[in-house]
Amino acid sequence: MCLYAISVSRMNDGRSGPSRRSFLATGGTVAGAALAGCLTGGGGSGGKDTVTLGILEDRSGNFALNGTPKYNASMLAIDELNDDGGILGKQIETFAPDPQSDNKRYQQLTRQAINEEQVDALWAGYSSATREAIRPIIDQNEQLYFYTTQYEGGVADSYTFCMGATARQQLGMVMPYLIDEFGTDIYTIAADYNFGQISADWVRVLANEHDANVIGEEFIPLSVSQFGSTINNIQDADPDFVMALLVGANHTSFWNQRTSAGLDLPFGTSTVMAQGYQHKRLDPPAMKGVYGGFNYMQEVPTDRNQDFVDRYYEKYPDAPYVNEECVNNYFSIKMYAQAAESVGSTNQEDIIAELEKGMDVSAPEGDISLQGKVHHMTHDMRVFRCDENHDIHVMEEHKIPEQFLSDTVGVNLRENDQTKQYVPADYFEAADATRE
Amino acid sequence: MGIGDTFDRLCRPFEGPNTIGNTRRFWIGFVVVVLALLGYPIGFGGYAASSAALYLLYAILGLSLSIIWGYTGILSFGQVVFFGIAGYSFALISMNLSSTLTTMLALPISVAVATIASLVLGYFMFYGEVRDVYVTILTLVVSIVMNTFMAQTAGSEWTVGSVALGGFNGIPAIPSLTFSVGDASVVLDGSSFYWFTLIALLVVYLGLRALVNGRFGYTMVATREDEDRTEMLGYDVRRIKLLVFGLGGALAGFAGVLYATWGNYVSPSVFGITFASIPVVWVAVGGRRSLLGAVVATVVIEWFRQQLSATGSQYAMVIVGAVLLLAILFVPEGVIPRLNVALLNVRDRSETTPDSPDGTPE
Amino acid sequence: MNPLNLLFLFADNFAFIVLSAVGLAVIFGMMGVINLGHGEFIMIGAYGTTLSANAGVPLPLAMVIGVLVTAVMGFVLERTIIRRLYDRLLDSMVATWAIGLILTQGVRIALGNSIPQISTPLGTIAYGEFSYSTYRVVLSVVALAVLAGLYVLFTRTEFGIRARATIQDPDTARALGVDTDRMYTSTFVIGSALAGLTGALYAPTLTVVPGMGSSFLVEAFVAVVIGGPSVLLGTTLSGGLLGVIDALFTNLYGTFFGQIAMLLTAIVVIRLLSNGLTGLVEDVRNRMEGE
Repeated sequence: MCLYAISVSRMNDGRSGPSRRSFLATGGTVAGAALAGCLTGGGGSGGKDTVTLGILEDRSGNFALNGTPKYNASMLAIDELNDDGGILGKQIETFAPDPQSDNKRYQQLTRQAINEEQVDALWAGYSSATREAIRPIIDQNEQLYFYTTQYEGGVADSYTFCMGATARQQLGMVMPYLIDEFGTDIYTIAADYNFGQISADWVRVLANEHDANVIGEEFIPLSVSQFGSTINNIQDADPDFVMALLVGANHTSFWNQRTSAGLDLPFGTSTVMAQGYQHKRLDPPAMKGVYGGFNYMQEVPTDRNQDFVDRYYEKYPDAPYVNEECVNNYFSIKMYAQAAESVGSTNQEDIIAELEKGMDVSAPEGDISLQGKVHHMTHDMRVFRCDENHDIHVMEEHKIPEQFLSDTVGVNLRENDQTKQYVPADYFEAADATRE
Repeated sequence: MGIGDTFDRLCRPFEGPNTIGNTRRFWIGFVVVVLALLGYPIGFGGYAASSAALYLLYAILGLSLSIIWGYTGILSFGQVVFFGIAGYSFALISMNLSSTLTTMLALPISVAVATIASLVLGYFMFYGEVRDVYVTILTLVVSIVMNTFMAQTAGSEWTVGSVALGGFNGIPAIPSLTFSVGDASVVLDGSSFYWFTLIALLVVYLGLRALVNGRFGYTMVATREDEDRTEMLGYDVRRIKLLVFGLGGALAGFAGVLYATWGNYVSPSVFGITFASIPVVWVAVGGRRSLLGAVVATVVIEWFRQQLSATGSQYAMVIVGAVLLLAILFVPEGVIPRLNVALLNVRDRSETTPDSPDGTPE
Repeated sequence: MNPLNLLFLFADNFAFIVLSAVGLAVIFGMMGVINLGHGEFIMIGAYGTTLSANAGVPLPLAMVIGVLVTAVMGFVLERTIIRRLYDRLLDSMVATWAIGLILTQGVRIALGNSIPQISTPLGTIAYGEFSYSTYRVVLSVVALAVLAGLYVLFTRTEFGIRARATIQDPDTARALGVDTDRMYTSTFVIGSALAGLTGALYAPTLTVVPGMGSSFLVEAFVAVVIGGPSVLLGTTLSGGLLGVIDALFTNLYGTFFGQIAMLLTAIVVIRLLSNGLTGLVEDVRNRMEGE
């Protein structure tokens, strides 16, 4: 019964108990570990002959629009794996509560997932704020964690794998294209929180690298939904194109408002459309002339993607869109299964070591690979253009690796354990110089 | 009989017409419950204890509103302001001066900051003749201001010492409370944090019982019932309101420090309109004129919300809303006072000689 | 700074503040009930409008449907819940908060996280290097019209006189044959309809999602609190004052400072004028009459 209890040897209280790594390192204590596993109720995979995955995604509250597809895609991946016999011949169970877009609840549920449900791996959170709220708990408990949203970049954490494209990958795709096409004067409007601020720093870094200028910059609180003065300011500055790093439902109001105000400029973005499918929700031509640098949109014109999209809608016929994070959750769960199969266990330390060797993944977006040293993905990046009928066209495509941690900072998580987030302002003059 | 008398005498300072439970039977039950709560981590482990600790610290926040609203008649949506200010202060102080000694000092300093903030706001309102429902909306506006302000502090210019305020993301990795004497130090987490919070809650609860059943408590209730009459009798109503508001601010601040150390995290969402409304809900459901009601309702509601959320059901919020509506409509005086009355009735019927006249509030 | 920009910005802010606040102000001013579900009432109006428009109903008619839906909902809620809480005003805040919670999540369950949006009608006004949405100009005109309409309703009609009598002295009003119960119901329905109207009017310019109500709350509460006891005058004055301050500070220092300046103004006004802006106007009027 308790033969597999090794993975259950986590103590009830991850803080005071010996860490899983040190516990396992003692080796030869299988019997003791098994006993501990049985005594603690055997909530983990070992005792129950199942693998337990924690899926914490918002299905209510502010981020439900983004969290629901992440949840759906996770369930799709898990169903497919279970239909194929599960992981290591064991069926996959899930712990999938609804954190309600509330970070305090995320903290509670993360502790519950680790300490009580004893999940073998965890997927959690849409916003950077959520990730930063739970990362200390993840690190304390040495829990294997996948963060799947596209984000500002820079997280170097021994237990966290960032599956989404980083700002540098996304902006590095779309900005050179826009500079070539439209000119060098850039106006940035960005959500006023860490993601927006750091992304705006990257806009400056990339502008500098491509001999362009940021001629104006405006940070907009997440609570703002009226954009009259922002539109005035853009018209006043008269840039060649605008970088719009807007986030959330309130900011989506910008597109209707700029259209009705007649602001007809090219827009570059790393956030809109691919996450919140604004081109499907808003009436044309609200999103006309918006160019996104993403690894994925539902419209990626490949057979492999079409097959994935079909399967998604077969399971969720009423779903509105297959977004970027869908794909990130989907391929990362498959990648986890692949790693578990190749090490032959769900032992988290072994799986992390396996992932750190790097791994090739066949994802709906294309053939991509995990950069083991930095826990990020080399993505198949594309420039997507939205036309006046809200049809999406792929303008350019090539693979872009994560570069900030691997090249600029020089992180190697195989050799040095750490749990830090690096920011461009510490490494690039362009990112820091114009900061007030 | 001697032991019984001593017991009764011990309980007397906490008894009076302004609280539920003035019988020996109540206090025996109280002691039993407290002992059971003290044993909870031993039976259920550190994880369960640390989950429960969150509800207990929320109960202190609930009590801070109970004395202001229930006993003095001022409905404040601003308790979370002092809660959050103390949480942020604790983060800034303890992370800038990261030694165990300063972590210890950061607790009282942060509570002091929150208290001063509440006294300033209270002075502004009560000596500025801001009345009734305007106090309610004003406190709501203050928490919205704090929310708006803190949410935009993401830029690097918003750094206090070495700690970035972090904007919407908040401040992660706040140190846990640590007490040290000489070389020995105790970090409060898991079970020890639970015990610390439980004992703090007990002290606050008993302290407030003594307060509301004492002279000052009577003037609080008099202020609630009729401000003009109280003034005419020679009391300075503004001063009474200010002092109670300051006490509420201190308690909310204390809870805020516990909150920041519980999750090692604080963010602007503590000032948000949702979180600002929650204490009002706890106190309204539990019975706003009952300290015990505030405590029990806080713990039960928060536990219930967490359980619902863990099921992943999309109906969780709807159920919470419906339960609140039903409670407000059908148990207007609050659940705990209603239960108390029901219990007394049952006992009256089963016993020929009823106990000493028992206090239901009001 | 282009003066036309500033003017448009002011008109835009004024409309947004007035329309956000007016439903809340009527219910609060007439009944003393603070409707914490106000934002969700607005959301219902926006949903009613957007769904009807998506079903092929012409936009103006869709807006009327949005208003009606919200008014009916207000009627049902008043009859079943709010009326039981008239003598417990603070409890009614908790109840309306709970109603808001149920509405947000209920809409999400019933209709999903997003619905197709409608675009803003009426095109663009161009001036120099700038251009502006015509519809937004219309909105500020509508805001003025709503205020004027309410003024007529409450001062020039039989209903208005009864309603005001009910607020000032319910017992006397009842003794004089006013059906105060019906007055409260009507007032609540009017307040709900106004919230629905706000949702209907802003549906083509904002993102219609279940949580959209919260984006109106700050302006609504601030406007009501500094307006003071006289609903109409108060809402108009606070819309004007806050609109100017927001426009100026946003234009000079950015969106965030516009918001903060507005909130700080509110705090200062409450401190200095215990009866809000209307109190100040009354004082001035009394002093002038006294001379």
